[in-house]
Amino acid sequence: MQIQDTLPQLRRYYHISPRLLFAAGLVALFVAIPLAYIFFRAITGGEEVWIRLLQTRIWKLLGNTLLLAATVTGGAALIGVTMSFFTERTDLPGRRVFRWLLAMPLAIPPYIGGIVHLTLLRPRGGFIPQLLASWFGQPIPTPSPLGFGGAAFILTLFMFPYVYLLSGAAFRSLNASLEEASRTFGRSNWQTLWEVTLPALRPGITAGALLVALDVLAEYGTVALLRYETFSSAIFVQLSGRYDRSAAAVLSGVLIVIAVIILWGELRLQGQARFTQMDSQWRPAPPHQLKRWKIPAFLLVAFVVFASLLVPVLVLGVWSVQALLDSETLASIMRSGSQNFGNYVWNSLWASGLAAVIAVLLSLPVALLSVRYPNKLTQAISRFCQIGYAIPGVVIALSLVLMVNRYLPFLYATPLVVVMAYVLRHMPQAVRASESALNQLSPSMEEASRTLGRTSLQTIVQVILPLIVPGLLAGAGLVFLTSLKELPATLLLRPAGFDTLAVRVWIWASEGFYVQAAPAALLLVVASAAPLYFLLRREQIFR
Amino acid sequence: MNALELRNVTKRFTSAGTPAVDDISFTLADGEILALVGPSGCGKTTTLRLIAGLERPDHGSLHIKGRLVASPEYFTPPEKRGVGMVFQDHALFPHLTVFENVKFGLKGQPAAIARETTHSMLKLVGLEKFGERYPHQLSGGERQRVALARALAPRPVLVLMDEPFSSLDADLRHEVREQVRGILKAMSATAVFVTHDQEEALFMGDRLAVFQSGRLEQVGVPEDIFHDSATRFVAEFMGDSDFLPGVVKENGIETELGLIPQKVNLPVDSTVEIALRSDDVNFDQTQAPNALVLARFFRGAYYQYRLRLSSGKLIHAFKPHTKTIPPGTSVHAYLSAGHELTIFQNGVAVGE
Repeated sequence: MQIQDTLPQLRRYYHISPRLLFAAGLVALFVAIPLAYIFFRAITGGEEVWIRLLQTRIWKLLGNTLLLAATVTGGAALIGVTMSFFTERTDLPGRRVFRWLLAMPLAIPPYIGGIVHLTLLRPRGGFIPQLLASWFGQPIPTPSPLGFGGAAFILTLFMFPYVYLLSGAAFRSLNASLEEASRTFGRSNWQTLWEVTLPALRPGITAGALLVALDVLAEYGTVALLRYETFSSAIFVQLSGRYDRSAAAVLSGVLIVIAVIILWGELRLQGQARFTQMDSQWRPAPPHQLKRWKIPAFLLVAFVVFASLLVPVLVLGVWSVQALLDSETLASIMRSGSQNFGNYVWNSLWASGLAAVIAVLLSLPVALLSVRYPNKLTQAISRFCQIGYAIPGVVIALSLVLMVNRYLPFLYATPLVVVMAYVLRHMPQAVRASESALNQLSPSMEEASRTLGRTSLQTIVQVILPLIVPGLLAGAGLVFLTSLKELPATLLLRPAGFDTLAVRVWIWASEGFYVQAAPAALLLVVASAAPLYFLLRREQIFR
Repeated sequence: MNALELRNVTKRFTSAGTPAVDDISFTLADGEILALVGPSGCGKTTTLRLIAGLERPDHGSLHIKGRLVASPEYFTPPEKRGVGMVFQDHALFPHLTVFENVKFGLKGQPAAIARETTHSMLKLVGLEKFGERYPHQLSGGERQRVALARALAPRPVLVLMDEPFSSLDADLRHEVREQVRGILKAMSATAVFVTHDQEEALFMGDRLAVFQSGRLEQVGVPEDIFHDSATRFVAEFMGDSDFLPGVVKENGIETELGLIPQKVNLPVDSTVEIALRSDDVNFDQTQAPNALVLARFFRGAYYQYRLRLSSGKLIHAFKPHTKTIPPGTSVHAYLSAGHELTIFQNGVAVGE
């Protein structure tokens, strides 16, 4: 807290280091070029392409995409806040365990969850309809997981943890005195919740909702699987099926505009709001007594955990056992074409790992600049490097396909293009992690090192880096985790034969070999759960 | 040769705004401790950072040991100035042990000598047994002393301290600052010390520099600052003074509390203000009342009374605690200074 107080004075360090500005500028340029290029291609896509698309596709896609984004965001906000309320602010039985279980669906890519729920609920041949038919002797109508309803259900189920985590942190950081003050002004518990607590949580909820909305725009696997067409899946089809790159570029341009509008809206909504704070006076608010609502609340939370975590993990587990026991399936898992299972695992690990290392290295000059010399220019560079959040994987893939083809042909059809896409898309997580690590470092550390005879470069190596390593590792972990799950950019950019776990799961599942896909999917989930566990351990609410 | 010299130093953080440091000049002799004191935002910390090389001046020049270190055209970075700094939050490196922290500034020296110096520094601050600990395992006072040892270890030409005791509890603060002053004097270190606490400045400084709004109000030994304030601000900030209006007459100054027989070098009928501290004022009930007791504050060995004069002017007076006078009592207030009072005209002290 003391650091915060003295910030404005201390941070006015002398002149911005030109070397640092140059390095950060290069990083921003690296991010800017693919983005600017796709815009350029969208605008110069040709009048007739625009007219054709405006007359045929764009409005339908716009409606579909916005409807899905709004529904999933709303649903995720509702479930996320409800869940965090129960685990953070009530005497819900087992809340310490639920706290973890509710966050873990982040390790399950929505398309894998979609595959599991699809096989369970498919109208013809699904596990549950078959079971019902055999019980009752006749087909019983069940809700279809295909189309809008299914896509909204699956995406909400696997994306609510974003809101859950951020609103949970906000609930946790609220000081007991806030609600007590409201009570002394004559508000009931219920009025306090609506008039004080939830408004104070708004920044947390909005931040979570933003992540959900942008993720829905970028989602390809789930909507393709459940046959609901959005901009992302339409661009993918244009690019992989019809090879109509002008149309893909035009659709991408529109998609980026939507994403930028959402980002801008969040900024406007959020403003300078920093409502929650934990200072030395902080003490936790006492939990509400659920009393007769205890059992219904428990069942509700248990159902969410069941559908979003237990079902996918159990089904994948059962299938995996089946696959490993069946020698024929096992053989086709272990070898397909010239590749074996070890290759997929290795490809996933090194591509995501390399992306994580590069993203963190690139984030360093940007974070150093924006934290140590905060002004309009450096903030703009930092914001700019975080734009990857808003650019769906398919769009980054398209941009790289077009650019590499034309300007960097030696990179074409190498795995390095895949890594480059991961870096571009997931840079924001690295930048944010590095910035928050640096922000926790008192500027007097650097100044002490300078007065003890170290140059600025020596200070970075001997003092700053050792102190921010945990934060950098967290950033790398996030990039690794999200790169591991990345599907559309990998599918579009990979050279022939470069299969990752995610790609293999997708290919097998779309050919209908669910059992065969299960071990790879389970491994993917486990590999994601490990870094997720360590990342969550760093969060306030899991201490 | 002066250890430190500032000439007309000015620093602005925004090109349009008022300067954070405005045309400051002073010198510091070898082995002297100078306390920069003033209310928060007065420019004292910025001055210290200018000396350290953590800020660049817009005008003026700084010399350390006669060597130019900063001017608008020339700038020596902090690592080349040979100054040691103790930070407000101590800024101990959490990834290094106490020993490594103190040794950090001894880079470039042979390892054996650096180790020996570190040992002797830790011994000097009484922490020779704590070398293997990490900063988070120390108490506030111990951390303070490590920070001092670290700053002193490279034998800097100048030690800078930015509110070094503000993070300590009141009891500890008194103890630690006495130790620190002893250590600085034992090493004959030249030091510049920033504080907002008048009492601390009077205790620590061989000389004081009083700041207000980026300007230097007065530089001098503690006694002069306290008894011979150059400006009304210094008298008010350093000594909790009240100011009694007066008019210059032939034989003294005419005030509400009677004639003060003190000569000033001003024309008759000039209006002035006289600085009064609580120990300069007394009151009794033997004469016709000219003041009302408004409040009584218990100060341990004595009471401080707040009096309202007939004109409405508030002044304060000390009395022993043996007798209490209830608020609401009408009394006769009078001056009992026994020494020359400081007289101000338009905020500036006037001599005889």
